[in-house]
Amino acid sequence: MKPAAFEYLRPKTLADALAALDHEDAKIIAGGQSLLPMMNFRLVQPERLVDINQIEQLNQIEKTDTGIRIGALVRHAEAARSSLLAEHFPIIAKAMVHVAHVAIRNRGTVAGSMCHADPSAEWPLLVTLLDGEIEILGNSGTRSAKPFEFFLAPLVTEIEETEILTAIHLPLIANPCRMAFDEIAQRAGDFAAVAVGTLVCVEGNIFSEIRLCLGGVFDTPVRAFAFENALIGQPASVESIEAALPLVLKDLEPNDDIHASAAYRLSLVSALARRVLFDTIDEMM
Amino acid sequence: MIDSTAFVRPKYVGKPIRRLEDPRLLTGQGRYTADIQLPRTAHLAFIRSNQAYARINGINLDEAKTLNGVIGVFTASDFTHIPDIKAVSNMENYQVTSCPVLARDVVRYVGEPVVAIAAISRYVAEDAAALIEIDYDTLDVAVTARDALAKNAPKLHDKLASNIILERNFATGNAPVEIANAPHKVSGRFSLTRKTSVSTEPRAYLADYDVGKDELILYDSTNIPGIVRDEIGHLLNLNGNQIRVIAPDVGGSFGGKGSLYPEEIIVADLSRRLERPIKYVADRLEELTASSQAFGEEVEATLAFDADGQFIALDAEIIGDIGAYSIYPWTAALEPVQVASFLPGPYKTPVYRGRVRGVCTPKPPTGPYRGVGRPMAVFVMERLVDLAATKLNLSKVEIRRRNLVRAEDFPHRSSSGIVWDQSGFQECLETAEKAVSKLNLENRKKKSNKWIGVGYACYAELTGIGSRISVAPGMPMNTGTETASISIDATGAVTAKFGIASHGQSLETTLAQIVGEELGIKPEDVRIIQGDTAFSLHGTGTYASRSAVLGGGAAIKTSRALLIKVKQVAATLFNVDPEQVETGDGLIFVHNTNHAINFKELAQAVYSDMKTLPMEKRETLAAQESFDPFLGTTSSSAHVAVVEIDPETLVIKLQDFIVAEDCGKLINPLVVDGQVHGGVAQGVGVALLEELKFDDMGQPITATLADYLIPTSAEMPPMQVHHLETQLPPNPGGFRGMGEGGTIGAPAAIANAVADAVSHLGLCIDSLPITPNKLHALIAAKSKH
Ligand SMILES: Cc1cc2nc3c(=O)[nH]c(=O)nc-3n(C[C@H](O)[C@H](O)[C@H](O)COP(=O)(O)OP(=O)(O)OC[C@H]3O[C@@H](n4cnc5c(N)ncnc54)[C@H](O)[C@@H]3O)c2cc1C
Repeated sequence: MKPAAFEYLRPKTLADALAALDHEDAKIIAGGQSLLPMMNFRLVQPERLVDINQIEQLNQIEKTDTGIRIGALVRHAEAARSSLLAEHFPIIAKAMVHVAHVAIRNRGTVAGSMCHADPSAEWPLLVTLLDGEIEILGNSGTRSAKPFEFFLAPLVTEIEETEILTAIHLPLIANPCRMAFDEIAQRAGDFAAVAVGTLVCVEGNIFSEIRLCLGGVFDTPVRAFAFENALIGQPASVESIEAALPLVLKDLEPNDDIHASAAYRLSLVSALARRVLFDTIDEMM
Repeated sequence: MIDSTAFVRPKYVGKPIRRLEDPRLLTGQGRYTADIQLPRTAHLAFIRSNQAYARINGINLDEAKTLNGVIGVFTASDFTHIPDIKAVSNMENYQVTSCPVLARDVVRYVGEPVVAIAAISRYVAEDAAALIEIDYDTLDVAVTARDALAKNAPKLHDKLASNIILERNFATGNAPVEIANAPHKVSGRFSLTRKTSVSTEPRAYLADYDVGKDELILYDSTNIPGIVRDEIGHLLNLNGNQIRVIAPDVGGSFGGKGSLYPEEIIVADLSRRLERPIKYVADRLEELTASSQAFGEEVEATLAFDADGQFIALDAEIIGDIGAYSIYPWTAALEPVQVASFLPGPYKTPVYRGRVRGVCTPKPPTGPYRGVGRPMAVFVMERLVDLAATKLNLSKVEIRRRNLVRAEDFPHRSSSGIVWDQSGFQECLETAEKAVSKLNLENRKKKSNKWIGVGYACYAELTGIGSRISVAPGMPMNTGTETASISIDATGAVTAKFGIASHGQSLETTLAQIVGEELGIKPEDVRIIQGDTAFSLHGTGTYASRSAVLGGGAAIKTSRALLIKVKQVAATLFNVDPEQVETGDGLIFVHNTNHAINFKELAQAVYSDMKTLPMEKRETLAAQESFDPFLGTTSSSAHVAVVEIDPETLVIKLQDFIVAEDCGKLINPLVVDGQVHGGVAQGVGVALLEELKFDDMGQPITATLADYLIPTSAEMPPMQVHHLETQLPPNPGGFRGMGEGGTIGAPAAIANAVADAVSHLGLCIDSLPITPNKLHALIAAKSKH
């Protein structure tokens, strides 16, 4: 379990990083927490590693006109500690405690998690739930992508090998709303069998906005649109949620693996969806 | 002057002395095999079979051989001078398997070493491995033990009569008849899936051959250095004085480093052939696919009992999935046969029939794993006991109380032939029951919307086994003797040498406590040398909960022999009778006189100055004694697990764990607690998490620690350990072994707790690990009916 030989570059600027990536078989290394195990198994054998950790402007969490911008190199642990995120998206800190263990959270980055695109990972779920935008820098400039465009399959995204994910934008949510997150993994810190995040806005005792996003269930994070659509405009009550809940499971065909069968995952989706939704309601009522 | 009324000789045995090895191990100063760097070392990588059972058609080495940095590439044909590894046995109905150091013609499990590559670094060796092609012809094979048992199943070893390489029968009375006539019976088919020991430090070997001296030093992460020396000496045709096996700091074994492996033989051989140091450090993938594995057993058992819950008879059919080869030196009988012999447990079960068969399958060989056989035996028996209690509507404690061997019954010969003696069977249960009552579980149940369950498990084990029987059934090797050599050198320092090999048991501390107390010096002033064959004539190592009993016994005997010499010399110096001489706290003295010297002054008088003692009184201050308990000691324990299951997610959480144990005289309560905690943690893995899975083709599908889940601190419940010293065994020190017990009781207690928590659903908890995913499947299957 030793990686094949590779060239190692450590650019100081984004421009240098782009130039370094302009190579047959180059790969970015951020926290290395997912890439290095794959290299050690020789599942990936990049000829060149481009270490972006020296690039300074990538590790900021800042407020913009429309929302919060989380730099690519922000570590899971930093996100969990950020007061700016706590103020606008407290769900992030709640989710981060489920990401691996302290040592891994101190190294692993937001962008690394997004680009690694594990179906169970917390960041892809959060960005999908929060309707974020993914900022990508390439040789022809910056572009942005929506999560549903970005995530293609397990461990596959649409980002090019020559591009750099530079930040995640999370738009501020206008209405007063609540968010909740929960997941089940076999041990503390394991990738989730099922993770569920929700965002609930109530205006005048009516659900004005509801989002429910599932991780670990399918190849990429999935929104329960049928359920969401059925609830929006309904009275904000436990009864309306119960009535709509079956829609979460409708047409859902979860993944099956040695840790959790599809049937077990379905039961978890149902239990966790109820749990996080009731959490938000409890907080509001 | 030392005043006899004021002086109290310090006691060290029984005290919670902090571990002497901790400063070294906890500050990164430990020296493990991989840490040892020798100039000109060549690093080995192995290409391992990716087929469960296949014929090797050809291996193309050309490209690899010419890669820059490659020193040599080797296949079976390069090792024709090394005999195959063969674990022989005295057992009837046992077939020896031949295990070549590298697969020859056929491969028999995924992970079996086929090619060895030596290179200037492990990186280059793996680069070379990527250039080698092995052409296989897949062969038909039975992957599961059940399939491999069938009459017409393809044979894994052509030369053997069948895949069943061992069979043994136990019979006391006529169990089938007794069971047929009994008023009540319960039965089940139980299984314990394969596991493997996951040590922090993987297996690692470094051989350093000295051409000039024709002497080989093998640094070896093993817990059986003596056995490794003896057998590698035999296989490579070296005398014992030409080969020295050193187990430096060893980062855990749990059984996995307790057998002889092909890799260590190859490392030793290549160092001689290439005349340079050879190093091999296994990686995690190799640990999970090519180190010895455990369990893989199925037991169909029936327990018959009367209306009072008194056991009448027990019947069991045991199938062990032993893997591709019978492991050296223990043989494949080690695990499954002990399931059969320990099945009746600490209970009076007058009639017993057990049949055990070990079946070859295309999987890594099974070998020792903390607890050996007993985790499975206890799991089966304790589940049956709970089923019986439920059937009679008797309390789980009461049914055990009625059947456990009582103090007045000792020595008690169990129906499988094991003799239990003087151990607190009833007392452990009683203590555990009291501790449970303090948890106030009824209240907890009332308040909780979760399913809460309590599970008991009682067990007894033979520890510190002497030379009457081998620790592995039928193995023709004495594991029942231990020798200590203790000396006082010219500086007055005490060194004690043993054949044991500590790999987490804290033996540097506990043996120093014993020697210190016996000689009258501080434990920290005693240097314990172990894990090095240069310092023991014969020694098999540390396993089977033997080292405290055997090593401790040898330490006491030897210290006492040495103390006689010390007193004799001092008596001459003081001109008193030896009986008047006392020692304590580093001094040698006569009470109420001015006669007092320290060990340094004693040593000086004996060795260095030429005037103080007449020549004939200058006795060497050294002693060597062996200890052999002949039989063994009976350790016992009661475990209680409390689990909480979330009805919605089926997440199983251990809430409490109670252990009441009787290991005789505690040498160091901190160390005993540590062993119990670690053992229980391993048992938690057995019960709730760990499972090596193979697909239909025999491919392992749990080859990383993301798939093979071991418990972490987050999965551990609060734990209470109650120590009982009921009646001490008659061996020196009164110690009993306790290194494995935690792993023996915990799986059964947890299984019973889970079964109790889901009792309202009528589920059978008959296979471990039990996971939320499996609970879900059980519930789904039940609701279909
Ligand atoms: C034991 C363990 C448990 C874990 N458990 C969890 C868990 O429960 N939940 C979870 O979400 N994660 C978990 N992880 C993964 C962890 O969160 C990783 O940190 C994360 O997935 C990858 O982040 P990284 O910065 O380490 O990326 P790296 O490993 O450095 O890179 C991962 C991939 O992303 C690419 N990449 C990285 N940064 C960029 C960028 N800026 N632009 C373009 N491509 C980029 C790399 O080229 C590579 O392909 C676990 C990891 C381990 C080792």
